[in-house]
Amino acid sequence: MYSNKFFISFLLFVASISCAAAELVAFDSGTISGLGARNIGSAAMSGRISALAGTRTATGKITLYVGAASGGIWKSEDSGTLYRPIFDKQSVQSIGAVAIDPSNTNNIWVGTGEAWTRNSVSIGDGIYKSADGGDTWVNMGLPNSERIAKILVSPKDSNTVYACVAGKLWSDSADRGLYKTNDGGKSWNLMLKGSNLSTGCSMISFDPTNPNIIFAGMWDFRRQGWTFRSGGESPTAPSGSGLYRSADGGLTWSEITENTNKGFPKKPFGRIAVTVAPSDAKRVYAFIESTDSALYVSDDAGQTWQVRDKSQWMVWRPFYFANLIVDSLNADRVYKTDGALIISTDAGRSFSAVGGFTGMHGDVHDVWIDPAPSTHGQTIFAGDDGGMWYSYNGGSKWWKGGNLPVSQFYHVSVDNKDPYQVYGGLQDNSSWIGQSQYPGGITNSQWENMFGGDGFWMFADPSDPNYLYAEAQGGAIGRVNRHTHESRDIQPRLNAVDLKAFKKLRFNWNTPIALSPSDKKTVYIGSQFLYRTRDHGQSWTRISPDLTTNNPDKQQQEKSGGVTVDNSAAEMHETIYSISESPKNANVIWVGTDDGNLQITRDAGKSWRNVAPNVTGLPAGSWVSWVQASNFDAATAYAAFDRHTVGDMAAHVYQTRDFGKTWKPLLSPANLKRVQGYAHVIKEDLVNHNLLFLGTELGLYISIDSGENWAHFKGGNLPAVAVRDIAIHPRDNDLILATHGRGIWIVDDITPLRALSAKLLGEEISFVATRPTQQRVQANGGWPNGDAVFTGENPPDGAVITYYQRTRHLFGKLKLEVIDANGRVVGQLPASKRPGLNRVTWSMREKPPRVPPAAQLAQSGTQGPRVLPGNYRIRMTKNGQTIETKMVVGLDRRATFTPADRKAQFGAALRVKALFDAESTLMDRITFLRSELAQHLDTLPESSGLKKQVATLDAKIDIVRKLIVATTEGGAITGEERLREHTDQLYGAIIGYEGKPADYQIANIVALESELKEVSDQFSLLISDDLKALNKSLMALGQKAVAAPPPIIALNDNDVTSANAKMPTNLLFLR
Amino acid sequence: MRLSLLTIICCCAMMAVSGSIHAAKIWTVDELVDKNIEARGGMTAIRAMKSLKLTGKLLLNQGQFEMAIVQVFKRPAQVRFEATVQGLTQTQVYDGKSGWQINPFNGRKDPERLSGDDSKGLAEAASEFDGSLIDWKAKGATVSYLGTEDVDGTLAHKIKLLRPNGDVEYIFLDPDHFLEIRTLSQRIEHGVQLAIETDLGDYEKVNGVYIPFAMETGKQGSTDKQKTVINKAEVNLAVDDAVFAFPAAKSKK
Repeated sequence: MYSNKFFISFLLFVASISCAAAELVAFDSGTISGLGARNIGSAAMSGRISALAGTRTATGKITLYVGAASGGIWKSEDSGTLYRPIFDKQSVQSIGAVAIDPSNTNNIWVGTGEAWTRNSVSIGDGIYKSADGGDTWVNMGLPNSERIAKILVSPKDSNTVYACVAGKLWSDSADRGLYKTNDGGKSWNLMLKGSNLSTGCSMISFDPTNPNIIFAGMWDFRRQGWTFRSGGESPTAPSGSGLYRSADGGLTWSEITENTNKGFPKKPFGRIAVTVAPSDAKRVYAFIESTDSALYVSDDAGQTWQVRDKSQWMVWRPFYFANLIVDSLNADRVYKTDGALIISTDAGRSFSAVGGFTGMHGDVHDVWIDPAPSTHGQTIFAGDDGGMWYSYNGGSKWWKGGNLPVSQFYHVSVDNKDPYQVYGGLQDNSSWIGQSQYPGGITNSQWENMFGGDGFWMFADPSDPNYLYAEAQGGAIGRVNRHTHESRDIQPRLNAVDLKAFKKLRFNWNTPIALSPSDKKTVYIGSQFLYRTRDHGQSWTRISPDLTTNNPDKQQQEKSGGVTVDNSAAEMHETIYSISESPKNANVIWVGTDDGNLQITRDAGKSWRNVAPNVTGLPAGSWVSWVQASNFDAATAYAAFDRHTVGDMAAHVYQTRDFGKTWKPLLSPANLKRVQGYAHVIKEDLVNHNLLFLGTELGLYISIDSGENWAHFKGGNLPAVAVRDIAIHPRDNDLILATHGRGIWIVDDITPLRALSAKLLGEEISFVATRPTQQRVQANGGWPNGDAVFTGENPPDGAVITYYQRTRHLFGKLKLEVIDANGRVVGQLPASKRPGLNRVTWSMREKPPRVPPAAQLAQSGTQGPRVLPGNYRIRMTKNGQTIETKMVVGLDRRATFTPADRKAQFGAALRVKALFDAESTLMDRITFLRSELAQHLDTLPESSGLKKQVATLDAKIDIVRKLIVATTEGGAITGEERLREHTDQLYGAIIGYEGKPADYQIANIVALESELKEVSDQFSLLISDDLKALNKSLMALGQKAVAAPPPIIALNDNDVTSANAKMPTNLLFLR
Repeated sequence: MRLSLLTIICCCAMMAVSGSIHAAKIWTVDELVDKNIEARGGMTAIRAMKSLKLTGKLLLNQGQFEMAIVQVFKRPAQVRFEATVQGLTQTQVYDGKSGWQINPFNGRKDPERLSGDDSKGLAEAASEFDGSLIDWKAKGATVSYLGTEDVDGTLAHKIKLLRPNGDVEYIFLDPDHFLEIRTLSQRIEHGVQLAIETDLGDYEKVNGVYIPFAMETGKQGSTDKQKTVINKAEVNLAVDDAVFAFPAAKSKK
C-alpha cells in the first residue's frame, strides 16, 4: 500500500480580485449555500406520514398528496411511482392536514403542524393554499395555529373551507378550534372554540350532501416535558373534549352528550375522531376516548348512537390514532388507523388487523381509498410511521414505498472508513448504517438496519471495528456485532444498594451516549447519573450524583396520558440529555439535563457544579438540548437550550470561555439574528473556532464569526427541516446533518467555510481553499431499480474548484481553465454564476482522442485519460480580468498501485490516444484524396475513360478506409470490428484502470501500431503508384492532376475541446 | 446515449441596465415584462432578429463528455440543433409543426419522426427563441407575477407563464437587470410532469440584443446539470427553410 504517500497535502492557494473599496458585505444564505448539499436518504426506513389526500384524475390516474410528519408534502401523479417534494420552499415542513378541493382538484389546502402529538412532533405556521396543484403556495393565515388536524373544502363552494385547528401542544392558546373561511382564505372566523385554552379541534366531518351539517371533535390536550394528557389531568378529571354538531355551517352548535343523545357515552373524553359515511349521510362513526374507549355509530345523523367495537385497538394510544375512514361506496366498511390498520366490514361491530407490524410498519395515521368503482375496496394506500404503503387487495397485503426519504433521524455519527459510513437512529425506525457514497448511487440497499425500536445515538466502536453502539428508547444501549448482528444489552442497572437509594434509573427517551475524544474505550451514558465504561459495557462506573433537580412532581409518568395512560419512556424526565467531554482535557466533562441543569466537572466526575444559574437572562428550568465542549480550549463550551416544551419556540444559544462562570448569548429571544426555530444542536468546527454550526427545528444555520452573525444554509435545496444532530468528518471535512424528516444530508468539504472572512467577503471574486483533491478510483455500480426507488447522490466525480464572488455574474464571459505544469491548458470549464460561494467540478481528464469517423461511436474514445496527479494552476477569467490559484491533485488514498504504475498507465493511454490520432490523420488524408477524386469525377468528360480510372482508384482507397473503421450502417448490432474499434477496446481497457497496464495490453498497442503501419503503407502505395498513373493519364488528356494529400491535413478546428470537434460550420446552410 | 434538445432551451435574453429594485416598489407583471424586453435590447432590436445561429459546446456527465453544438433558430418557429462528436452529428429539428431527429451514434443516420411529446421541448425552444415573455398574449398564454423568490442567492422576480396547452414556465428575472437568470419549464410528457430548470448567464450583446452565452440545464433539483457554452452568436444569417424540413430521402452520408 502506497496510498498515504500519494495523498496530497496542500490546499488551493488563494488569489483574488479585490473590489475597489472595502464595504460591509452581507453574510447570508446566498453566501454559503453554493456549497450545496446532497441527500443520501434513506427511504429504506422512510418516516412518519401524517396526512394523505388523493384523487382519480380524468385520465384514470391517481394523484396523491402525501403529508410527512416533518418532511413536507410529496406529490405523485402516478399512484406513487414517482414523487416530488412540492413544499420545500415553505418555512415549515410539518404537515397536519392535506385537502383537495372537490370542485377543482388544482386547489390544494395544507394545514401545517402535525396533530399526532407525540413528544418529538414538530410545529407549523398556518394554513397554505395552492391553486396550481402544489406548484406555488400562499400562506393563508392562522399563523398561531401551530398544528392543524383536518381541512374540509365544501363540495358546493371552493371558497368555503373549514380548518380544524388543534392548536398549540405545549402551551395555552386561544388560537384553536374550528375555523371557517367563506372567501377562499382571505379571512377566517372561529366557529367553534374549546371550553378552555387547551382544547382545540381534533377532527371534523360533514355531510357530503349537505356540508352545512358538520360534526366536530374537540380535544383537550397538553404535553409537557414530563407528562402528556389527552383529556383532563386524569382519566376522570374534567376535560374540554366533546363532540359537537352544527346544521348551519358552523354558526350554531349543539354538543352530543349522554343526556341528549341516546347511546352516547359519558364524559369526560379524550381524543375524538368522527366521520360521516360518504355514501350514507345518516351513518356517522365516532371514536371516543374515555375510560371505556369505544367506537360509536349513529344511523340517524348523530341523534342516537350505538356502542360498537371495544377491543384493545380502541384503547391503543388514542392521541396517535384517532382517525376513521369510511369506504366511499360501502357505509359498513370502515378503517381505523391504529398500531395496525384495522378494518371493519360490519359497521364497526368487529375489526380485523389487516396491516401493521408484519406486512406494514405499523402506527398508521391516514388512509386513502381509491373511489374508482373498478377497484372498489381493493386499492388502499396508507401512511404510517414507516412511510407509504400500497395495497391492491383490500389491505390484506402491502407494497412498501421506497421513494420517500422522509426519515426522522435523531442523531448521526461517522466512522473512518473510506468512504466513511454514517450511523444514526430514527424515530420509530431503529438504528442504521448507511454509505456516504457508493458506485451508482446510494440506494435503499446501501442502508443496513442494525438494532431495533426507536433509534437514537449510534456509534462505531472506535476501539473495535467489528462492533458498534446503538440504542433504543429509554437508554436501551446495545453493543452490536456488525457482522453477525449479535446484540448485547449493556444498559446500566442498579445494584441492591442503589436500588434502595434511588428506586430507578431515569433514562430519557433520547438518552445521550457520548464517546470520549481522548480514549477510544471510554463511553458515557446518562440517566440521572453519568455513567462511564472503559470496557465496552462490561462494567459501568457511576461518576456523578443525580445531576438533575430530581423534582418528584416531574416523575409521575405512570400517570401520564390523561384519559388513557401513555407512559412509553417518551415522557421520562429529570434526566441527563447531553454529555460532552472536553477534547482538550479529559477531566472536563459537561452534562446538560432536561430540567435545566448545566453541570461541569473538572476532575473527571469527582465533583460537579451546576452553572446554569450563571446563564444570565435564561429562565430557570430550560431544557439543555446540547452542550458542546470546545475543540480548542478546555474552558470554552457552547450550550443550546430548548424551551419549546414550555411554548417558547426561540433559539437560546450561549458560549462560555471560563468553565461556565459567565455566558455570552449567541442567540436569545432578544436578538435572534434571523434564526428560526428552537435549537437542537450547536457544534464548533474542528479547525476554525469561529465557525459554528447550529441545527434548529427549522434548519441549519452557520456562523463564521463565533455566533455574531448567522446565515441560513439552503444548499442543495435543503428545506426548513429540523436538524437534530451534526457531525463533522475529521478526515474528509464533510458536514453531516441528521434531519428529523428528510434523512441524512452531506455538505461535502466545508473547508471553504473555514476560509470565509470579512475580508474575503469584500472581494469581488476570489478562489477559496478546499480540501486536498484526490483522483478517486473509477468504479461502476448500481442497477435499474425502477422509478419508485430513492437514490441518494454521490459527491462530484472530479476535482472541485471553489470560488467566491460578491455578486451574481450576469454579463460577459466567466470561465475557468486548468493549466498543467508545462503551461498547457488541459481543461476549460464553464463557471457557476451565483453570488457567494460557487463550486465547479473539473473532470481531471485530458481532451479525448481524435477518433476517425465511422459508422458508430467509439464509446471509450469519447473520454480523455485522467491527467496525472501533480501540480496544476486554475485560472479564472471574468470579463477580461484573470486570477489564478494552484491545485495539487493526488491519488486516491485507497489506490493499490504506485506512482510509477500510474505513469505507465497514463503513458500507455497517451500512446493509444496517439494511435487514434494517427488513424485519424490517415483517414483525413483518405478523405482528402477521395474528395479530390470526386471533384475530378464531376469535371471529366464522359468518353475519356478517365472517369472509370478515377472510380477504380477511389474504390481501392475505400477498401483501405474499410480496413481502418467499421462502416456498416443500419443501426443493428453489426459486430464489425476494424482497427479503430480494436483501438477503442484497448483504449477503454487502459483508461478504465489506472494501475500498471498489462503486458498483453502493451503488446496489443504494438500490434495495432503495426497494423496501422501496414494500412498506411497500402495507402502510400496507392498514392505512389495508382495516383501517379492516374495523374499521368489525366495530364495526357490535358486534365488537371489530382493533388496528393499532404502528410497532415489542416483542420478547421474551433476551440471545442472534443475529439474530432471539426464542426461543419456551414453545413446548416448548404441545401 | 440519448440526447435531447428538451434541455437546450435557449432564451435569448437581453437588457438595458436598470436601477436596483426599490424596496417599496410593487411590480405588476406587465411592468416586469416591459422591463425584461427593455433589458434585452428593446422590442425593435428583438423583432429585427429573424434568425439566430449559436455555436459552442455542450458538457454532460459532470463535464466528462463533451460535444460541439450548433443551434439555428428561425422565425416563426423553427429550430435545428446539432451535436457532434467523433464526426457523428446528432440532429434534432422542429419545423414549426413537428419534430424529427437523426441519431447516428449507433450506426443509423436516417431521419426519424419525433412523437408529439418528445417534440415539446423543441417546439418551446422554436417558438420562443427570443424568450417566452415576448408576445405572450398573442401566443395565447397567460402570465402572472408571483413576487420574489431566492434563486441561488438572488432574490429574483418570479413570473408564471401558463401556455395554452396547460404547460407552465416559471421565469425568474434578476432584480437589478431584469434579465432571465433561471427558467423552470413544467410540461407533461408521456403522462407525467417533466420539470426542466435552466440557469442563464454570461449575457453578451449581439446586434443590439442580449443573449445568454452560458446555460445550465437539467431536471429540477439535479446537481449535475448539462452545461452549454456559446462561443459565437450570429444574427440574421440567411437560413433556408429546407434545413428544417424532414429530409425527403435517406441520408447517404
